[in-house]
Amino acid sequence: MTGIDINCDRITKRFGETEAVAPISVTLAAGQTTALVGPSGCGKSTILRMMAGLDVPDSGTITLGDEPPKTLARRGALAMAFQDPSLLPWRTVRANIALGAELARKPADDVDALIHLVGLSGFADHRPAELSGGMRQRTAIARSLISAPDVLLLDEPFGAVDAMTRRRLNTDLPPLWRSRGATTVLVTHSVQEAVLLSDRVLVLSPRPARLVEDIPVDLPGPRDNTCVDTAAFNALTRTVFAALEKNA
Amino acid sequence: MTRLRPILLVCVALALWEAVVRMASGNLLISSPTAVAIYVSENAALLGRATLETSGNAVWGFVWGNLAAVLLGSLITVFPRSERTVSALALLVFCVPLIASGPILRVLFGPGAGPQITLAALAVYYTTLLALLVGLRAVSQTWTDLMQVYGRGRISTLIRVRARASLPYLFVGLQISAPAAFLGAMIGEFTGAERGLGVLTLRAMRGLDTDATWTLALLAAAIAMAAYALIGWLGQHLVGYRPVILLSASSAPTNGNVWRRLTEIALITVLVLVLWQLSMDAFDLNRFFAKRPGDVWVFLMDADNRGTLFAALAETLSFAAPGYLAGLGLGAGLAALLVLSPALSQATMPVAVALRAIPIITTAPLLVLAFGRGLVGTMVVVAVMIFFPTFVACQQGLRQTSGQIVDLFKSYGAGRWRLLRAAQIPAMLPAFFASARMAVPAALLAVTTVEWLATGKGIGVLMAMTASTSNYNMLWSCVAILAVVAVTTYAAITALERLVLRIYASEQVS
Repeated sequence: MTGIDINCDRITKRFGETEAVAPISVTLAAGQTTALVGPSGCGKSTILRMMAGLDVPDSGTITLGDEPPKTLARRGALAMAFQDPSLLPWRTVRANIALGAELARKPADDVDALIHLVGLSGFADHRPAELSGGMRQRTAIARSLISAPDVLLLDEPFGAVDAMTRRRLNTDLPPLWRSRGATTVLVTHSVQEAVLLSDRVLVLSPRPARLVEDIPVDLPGPRDNTCVDTAAFNALTRTVFAALEKNA
Repeated sequence: MTRLRPILLVCVALALWEAVVRMASGNLLISSPTAVAIYVSENAALLGRATLETSGNAVWGFVWGNLAAVLLGSLITVFPRSERTVSALALLVFCVPLIASGPILRVLFGPGAGPQITLAALAVYYTTLLALLVGLRAVSQTWTDLMQVYGRGRISTLIRVRARASLPYLFVGLQISAPAAFLGAMIGEFTGAERGLGVLTLRAMRGLDTDATWTLALLAAAIAMAAYALIGWLGQHLVGYRPVILLSASSAPTNGNVWRRLTEIALITVLVLVLWQLSMDAFDLNRFFAKRPGDVWVFLMDADNRGTLFAALAETLSFAAPGYLAGLGLGAGLAALLVLSPALSQATMPVAVALRAIPIITTAPLLVLAFGRGLVGTMVVVAVMIFFPTFVACQQGLRQTSGQIVDLFKSYGAGRWRLLRAAQIPAMLPAFFASARMAVPAALLAVTTVEWLATGKGIGVLMAMTASTSNYNMLWSCVAILAVVAVTTYAAITALERLVLRIYASEQVS
């Protein structure tokens, strides 16, 4: 897999009378992880859905590399993980992960390796109902990685798990997608999570979403939970909070 | 001991039944269990052959009808824009009472098993289609998003996600429709077959043979319940999960624009007439018995013909309406009362579910024997036909009351009666209206079948007479007018439902 640039050129979106996204233009660099943060309901997920081709901008264009999202999707070079793990309940962990490869029309050779990497060894033949929330989310992330996508979109992937599990997933899973070189976009409500997991934080205004701050994150890697105690990390989170408060 | 309890209950019930019949000796309306057993032993071979014949036709109809339901469900899912048209056509065909289309099918197919199999298929496809559509839509938005993210279309989503997710719903549909297949096959036999339980039932009724009538009704009910139980068991073992579903009609959003809806209705009407004409022409069916829309129109332009038809229709509706309202009222009322006594409600639910499985029409001869061939007998058959599905649906609807709302009422110390009035009955309304809609064709089927078999009144007997005298213009006119009445009543109840649910269940009204 090789990451590719994501270009948003003056994209807007309305839902009926509600303006969800004001014109936004931004380029996300290939192979980087970019976090989108902003107040609830500001349009973060709408932007992500437009990047995935699930929603279409009312005006402006989004290109992934030099292709529209739907073309990339048809090539199986796009993957997405949602807040709800959305596993198929009748499939085992192994079959749910393999589904990502099947849908992308790619071989599912790495399933067992990925199961091991996401810490689910011994649960490969379990069904989702037999897993904890954290284990289901690990399965969903593994499903999004199995197809070796060029673009990985994560819509609050840790939003529905408890604090302890979230803390563990924050350190366990990012190295997996970073090592695979995909251009990753992460939507999150957590400023700490955005700073910890990304190379760049884009701060959005309340609805309609506008890009109000573009904050590079130049913390050294590999990052783990000890990173959050450093002065550099705290300075960055303060910067993000300040940007959010200034535009609230 | 617990395992023996059902057997003991059956033995006690049989003993009581025998005792009642012996005490009422000389009463020709009731057969005792021993008389039924004697009839079975003396006619075992005949009953066996008839059972095999009817069951075989029912199985074929069940297969074809459910295949049609799966194809229609898949079509609607892959081409959502076709939903309104396909659903309207499916509903229209469902609304034609089986006893009305039986004579026409008999003429088209001849003396073989064609009408029985077709009627069995017609009896099952709509129930399965409704359940299947609920299942095909019961997938989370993120699953369909996931498919789209990988560039997969509606067919892939249907195959990989919706088909499997809909299996529990499909099994509920199959289970409810299994007894209906048996009912369809028997009604096909009423309209002129040579073999089968329906033929024996007709003979028994006409010969006032009480033991035979009771035996055949019990046998039909037992087979229908066995099919219901078998498919329930299969579903439980194959998919494990049994959802509660209301057999409601299309959930496609309706456009509020009156003119647009009227245009839609007009277009669908034209489509129906064109399909009717083309299907007759395509098979080059003889105009003597295969009447086209134009033939029916010309026939109905004659005032005498119209007078005869509408007089029979008025008689039929005057019998059907009280039975329909009584069945609905009793079903909903008893469900609401039983919820005040949760233990009683739990105990009656399995019995009611089992009794719902009985195709009541097969027991119509008994009810007519017991209550007479007039208004009361017909009303009882119609009411009983509607009572059990309404009762079961309303009990399930009452259980849909949110647990948090129940807790809220309890936290204020509200009594059961207040909880019922303010929270549980409003929660039951969607189930009640779903039952009320589905009961319309059921009521027309019941009343026309009783008229055909027993009472000698109304449009049912008009059809029987016109079929035997080859007055096919009148026969087709009867079928058309019954379909129009059923669809119009169904639409009127849907409109009322939308008005009521807009207040009580606004989240369910698009």
